[in-house]
Amino acid sequence: MVNTKVVVGKLSLKNPVMTASGTFGFGSEMARVLDLGRLGACVVKSTSKEARVGNATPRVVETSSGILNAIGLQNGGVENFINEKLPFLRTVDTPIVVNIVGNDVSEYVYLAQRLSDVEGVDALEINISCPNVKHGCDFSVDANLTSELVSEVRKVTALTLITKLSPNVTDIVSIGRAAVEAGSDALSLINTLVGTAIDAKKRKFRLANITGGLSGPAIKPVALRLVWQVHQALPSVPLIGMGGISSATDAIEFLLAGATAVAVGTSTFVTPTSVIEIIDGIEDYMTTYGVADVNELIGAVTR
Amino acid sequence: MNSHSISHIVAEVVDNVLVAPNHYVITFVSPYLAEVARPGNFVNILTADSSDPFLRKPFSVFSADTDTGHVQLLYSVVGGTTKRMAVKRAGDTLDLIGPLGGRIFEPPSERSVTHIMVGGGYGVPPLVFLAHTLLTDKPNCKIKFIVGARDADLLLCLDRLDEMGISTHTSTENGTHGIQGRVTDVLTPMIHELGHANCFVYCCGPTPMMKAVGDLCLQTGVSCQVSVEVGMPCGVGVCMACVIDLKDGRRVRCCTDGPVFDSAEVVW
Repeated sequence: MVNTKVVVGKLSLKNPVMTASGTFGFGSEMARVLDLGRLGACVVKSTSKEARVGNATPRVVETSSGILNAIGLQNGGVENFINEKLPFLRTVDTPIVVNIVGNDVSEYVYLAQRLSDVEGVDALEINISCPNVKHGCDFSVDANLTSELVSEVRKVTALTLITKLSPNVTDIVSIGRAAVEAGSDALSLINTLVGTAIDAKKRKFRLANITGGLSGPAIKPVALRLVWQVHQALPSVPLIGMGGISSATDAIEFLLAGATAVAVGTSTFVTPTSVIEIIDGIEDYMTTYGVADVNELIGAVTR
Repeated sequence: MNSHSISHIVAEVVDNVLVAPNHYVITFVSPYLAEVARPGNFVNILTADSSDPFLRKPFSVFSADTDTGHVQLLYSVVGGTTKRMAVKRAGDTLDLIGPLGGRIFEPPSERSVTHIMVGGGYGVPPLVFLAHTLLTDKPNCKIKFIVGARDADLLLCLDRLDEMGISTHTSTENGTHGIQGRVTDVLTPMIHELGHANCFVYCCGPTPMMKAVGDLCLQTGVSCQVSVEVGMPCGVGVCMACVIDLKDGRRVRCCTDGPVFDSAEVVW
């Protein structure tokens, strides 16, 4: 019997595999597909103060080994989340992480407060890095703004705080450090890489929003490098690594690079049961290679 | 609604037959899908052995036989996924997710109603499945079928409908079969003859055709269910790519809030 438990802030995860926000709906959608109780944690879609309808279509296009998306944070707002989505999530035997997004600091603070008041939310992931909405990345490219935002949110909640970092920056370590010093318990990385796609025949952009966020296997090497880089600089901070993970081997690589946990995103779009196959695959790897405790793998990569 | 579990299935192909220029019927074995799939349900297929095409593509179920466990899809070769499907042979495998779809065709229970199926192009197969299911459940129900295409060669499923004993009307844009014109040129006199209160229309085909049929039904006071066709990458309601707008202001997902909608509620 191998140990797959890991700890992220106050969260104790039965295994290191989480879902990536925006790729798993609000959980209930996936109940026809898999047993949510098997997840290390369930990270639900971005929730804002007011409802958002998102961007025009087309919102997703296929690219080489990945997709570009520009959904634009469509969601029913926090009250809809609490009334319509949370009751189901309370029945799921795994930590629930809510990804929050606001237009300004006061909206993030409002969301953190509101979601701390209700039963069933175990952690908050602060989304400072959505590339598909106006001002979506303002915080994530500026260490001072990140620091201000995280410290204000920290004041109003005792929940585990995870800050989700953008790869579209010059120095990701400085942003991550600012978030941690301001009270973030953990960091998740990476959000999508900004890109575009053009239809040569029609001479038109393929996304209605022109630009979108690139995800999938195409971005894995970049994500892996950034996780390793942040782990080198902040070795005691739990990192949730993500970016193109579609197999247990991919997940193990992120653990070796320094992630304490991983999140599966775009792979769920291709094969909805992917996250379960990855959880099983990690145990198989541990058995095959004689790894008694998954924590032994964290940051264990060598030259 | 179909609330059965959604499964990842790797099914064995039984055969894959050319039925019209560039159109094939692929038959595969999946006792589970054959048991639970209902008209309007679809499956998402991945054929890539590399990662191109990266995403799955949706296909409506054409037939499901619980005795043999055989399920059929009728498809047109249009892109990378269907090109790879077309070279599948008996014994090969087909990687699919299903059954998918939240709201599917919901026939009314009144006995007096005439069920009118209006199909264009590869929108015909799910309606054939619907007609078959209706006839199995209620052998005496009244069904009329309208099949439209550009050319006689592209009128799909006429043999199958003939075997089922369904009266089929056709329209072709070039006049090579049936009425020269569009499906609405057949549907308009049919509604007039039967009386709008006795008709119930189901439509699947290219979006301009569904809009035209939907508009006609709205004007004549006939209920009409349409199966909307948009790309549905995940099929399970989480990627939010397949949204359409409804007249009540909601922006909904085709995969799990549809793919079947009342035509009167859709913003085309």
